[in-house]
Amino acid sequence: MSGGFERLLDSVVRIDVSEVNYEDGARRIDASIGSGVILTQDGLILTNAHVAGPKAVDINVTLSSLERVNAKLIGWDHWTDLSLLRLNLDDVKRRGLAFKHAEFGDSDKLYVGEPVYAVGTPHGLTRTVTRGIISNNNRYFEDTQGVDGYETGNFNSWLQTDAAINPGNSGGPLVTDDGRVVGITSRAYLGANNLGFAIPSVTAKRVVAGLVKDGSITRSYIGIIPKALQDLEGFYDLAVNSGVLVDSVESGSPAAAAGLKAGDIILAIDGKKVDGRFPEQLPTIQNLIASLPVGTSLALDYKRGSADGSVTLVTTKLESRMGEEWVSDTWGIGVRKVSRAFARENQLPDDGGVLVIGVQRGFPAEIAGLARGDVITKINQSPVNSLDVIRATDAAYAARPAPTLFEVQRERRVALVVLKP
Amino acid sequence: MKLPTLILAAAACAAGARAADLPTLWAERVKCTVAVEYITQTELERRPTVAYGTVVDNRGTIILPSAAIDLRIAPKQIRDFKVYIPGDPEGTPAEYLGRDAYTGWHFVRASASIRSRLVPVTAFAGPEPAREAALADEVWGIGIRNKDEDFTPYILRSGVALIQLLPQRTAIAQQEVAGPGLPVFDRDGHFVGLGSSSFGQTFVEFTGSDRDGSPIMLVNIEESSAFLTAGEVLPYVGRVPNNVFGRPLAWLGAYGLEPMDREVAAFLKLESQSGAVVSEVLEGSPAEKAGLKAHDIVLGINGKPLPRFKPDRVVVDYVERVIAAHAPGDTLDLSVLRGSDRIELKASLAEEPRLVREAERKYFEKLGFSAREFVYGDAIARHSKVSDLGGVVAHLVKPNSPADLAGLRPDDWIKEIDGVEIASFAVAAQKLDEIEKDPLRTESVFLVSRGSDTAVLRIKLR
Repeated sequence: MSGGFERLLDSVVRIDVSEVNYEDGARRIDASIGSGVILTQDGLILTNAHVAGPKAVDINVTLSSLERVNAKLIGWDHWTDLSLLRLNLDDVKRRGLAFKHAEFGDSDKLYVGEPVYAVGTPHGLTRTVTRGIISNNNRYFEDTQGVDGYETGNFNSWLQTDAAINPGNSGGPLVTDDGRVVGITSRAYLGANNLGFAIPSVTAKRVVAGLVKDGSITRSYIGIIPKALQDLEGFYDLAVNSGVLVDSVESGSPAAAAGLKAGDIILAIDGKKVDGRFPEQLPTIQNLIASLPVGTSLALDYKRGSADGSVTLVTTKLESRMGEEWVSDTWGIGVRKVSRAFARENQLPDDGGVLVIGVQRGFPAEIAGLARGDVITKINQSPVNSLDVIRATDAAYAARPAPTLFEVQRERRVALVVLKP
Repeated sequence: MKLPTLILAAAACAAGARAADLPTLWAERVKCTVAVEYITQTELERRPTVAYGTVVDNRGTIILPSAAIDLRIAPKQIRDFKVYIPGDPEGTPAEYLGRDAYTGWHFVRASASIRSRLVPVTAFAGPEPAREAALADEVWGIGIRNKDEDFTPYILRSGVALIQLLPQRTAIAQQEVAGPGLPVFDRDGHFVGLGSSSFGQTFVEFTGSDRDGSPIMLVNIEESSAFLTAGEVLPYVGRVPNNVFGRPLAWLGAYGLEPMDREVAAFLKLESQSGAVVSEVLEGSPAEKAGLKAHDIVLGINGKPLPRFKPDRVVVDYVERVIAAHAPGDTLDLSVLRGSDRIELKASLAEEPRLVREAERKYFEKLGFSAREFVYGDAIARHSKVSDLGGVVAHLVKPNSPADLAGLRPDDWIKEIDGVEIASFAVAAQKLDEIEKDPLRTESVFLVSRGSDTAVLRIKLR
């Protein structure tokens, strides 16, 4: 075993997270276990977004010495399923604890068949090392609700490995035999044999830098859903290896405003030719657009039927379909702000309103007939455009309970209900 | 001396009818019941359905309950109607006449050859005015067994436990009293009602692992304990539709009516009022032209406040029935609450736009799907502007066909075929015909809309 590997083992931690959850219409705390890797001597820890995110209320890190230290969230990026934590260094110093930090390797240099090791705490079993090879170094998949309901995988490819990965491995490093981190173990097919996936270190390095700087990653959005051309070049009369198909244009997006249509073929972005023949090539193209600063003016050359065209559009900020969540203990109701993306997905007239994500049995909301999936659009005949509105009415109700009229959108129907003390 | 004798004879007759003659009454009244079988023929299958009906006139007209025929199925796809006289395994052909929107009944006409064996239920109506079933009345009705038992008729007996307005006057008996669509009588043999769809009953189910049991609701589809009272049936048996689509159909265009419950009424200071909240006002509809808005609460129609029902949601059926009782061109006065203002509106009802069951459709064997004309309701369902009616809907996709393998799904809205925008059903049909007839054709590309997204699908033909 190399010295680098020994050092790596001392940088891998177990992470116990307590997370708040509003989906029962009440504030509930769920506990989960994941892995992480210490990146710097000042205590930065990289893990998965699905291990520790903004809903974490307590993050407890077990060092390789089995000593436990608290940590706090620096920032997360669900699109790449990465989170950055920082150890409570004062506590570390006061208690005289020691740890090592890991070094990144270059995931672009990995070859298929190269031996790799997954290190982590599957099911809480600390310092577990499993061995395998790189099964594929350019896997593509995206998942619209993959990280606790948040989108993931659109802007990065994945490393696939047959090193055994079990629940609790998440957030731990995938390393080469010199102990360098080439990936962050993230997911596996349950019920399959050794189909595990990790975020490549090239992606992780970039995201870590962004999270250290801003606490979040801001991406540009234009509103097209791309699709691989596969064998459609003939149909669209294109040169081989050029262009990407627009499968869908999101309504209200910059692309829609610029007049792009589903079925168009984007040939070049800012004069740079794009090649989207295979699904594996899509994250690069998506990332090319996403990496631009918000508000960038972008020229797209496209082909529609036999005609060529060009449009210029200005990118806006990429937003998640998930919105901020909150719970009312008086009404027994968990809610989430309706986002632009959610409104579009569900063909709501606008992004006003809050979505009911849970109701607690026997509480006023449940008794009045509110249900998960309802969108609350008005309270006492005033529009609910933010969580602040519902927070304020809730506070007023708690101080002085009185019948309160809710207007909700339930699928295509408008229902009126009264919540009573 | 003459008079007392007569009275005695009448008394004897009445007493006899009440007790001993029930089998006789039953045997006579079975003649107003039939079983009706029809075939639903889709592109891929033929499926028989059996329903029970009641004869309503001397021309062999039979009414079937609303649920007997799925409204989403096009009349063209239901065929081979046959009427069976209970107990007789031989069916005779019959004609489907359509559905009446007001009563919901489907009308079927038996062929002349068996009309002499049928007796209309009106023959048992008794003296005018029709006797309305009342609480605790003893009642009996007819049930019919399955086809493999030659549709053998049988008797059911019960007593009226409750009378409700749903919104029609509905009697609920202690237990099952008739098959849905079959008649109910009193002890004198007078017609008192027509079996409606049964209500669900909750049972607790115990399984090996679940000793506490879990409640499940069961609905008896063969027999019902609920029946529409005679006053809700006899005046309407003559509403035979003019055509299989039941047109004309009066249309207001207030979509997604939701009941205003007591709590909401109290909050809005409308204590004794009932109301229906309008979820959406449809584009180009009479409701829109009258100035009705989404979120308005309808409180009254034609000067009459909406009645209060138990449960509240019955008010929605009430409003729909009021509209269905009118004809296109009729005016409806609506009393509406908007915010805190009371508003009076006048809506001139129109003919309902073409329905899915009236839409043109065609099956394309080689591609493996059927295309259906895009109608008004499709645009509404897709939150789309009615003004850009175009494209066709994938109505049925044959499993493992080229269309299925390319990812086409039922209800996909096909907007372009091979890069050409589809303006109408005729254009689509022509284009798809060309594709199917071209032996050299290897692929076709569809642009489809599905929910809020679109997708480009490549259909491989060889």
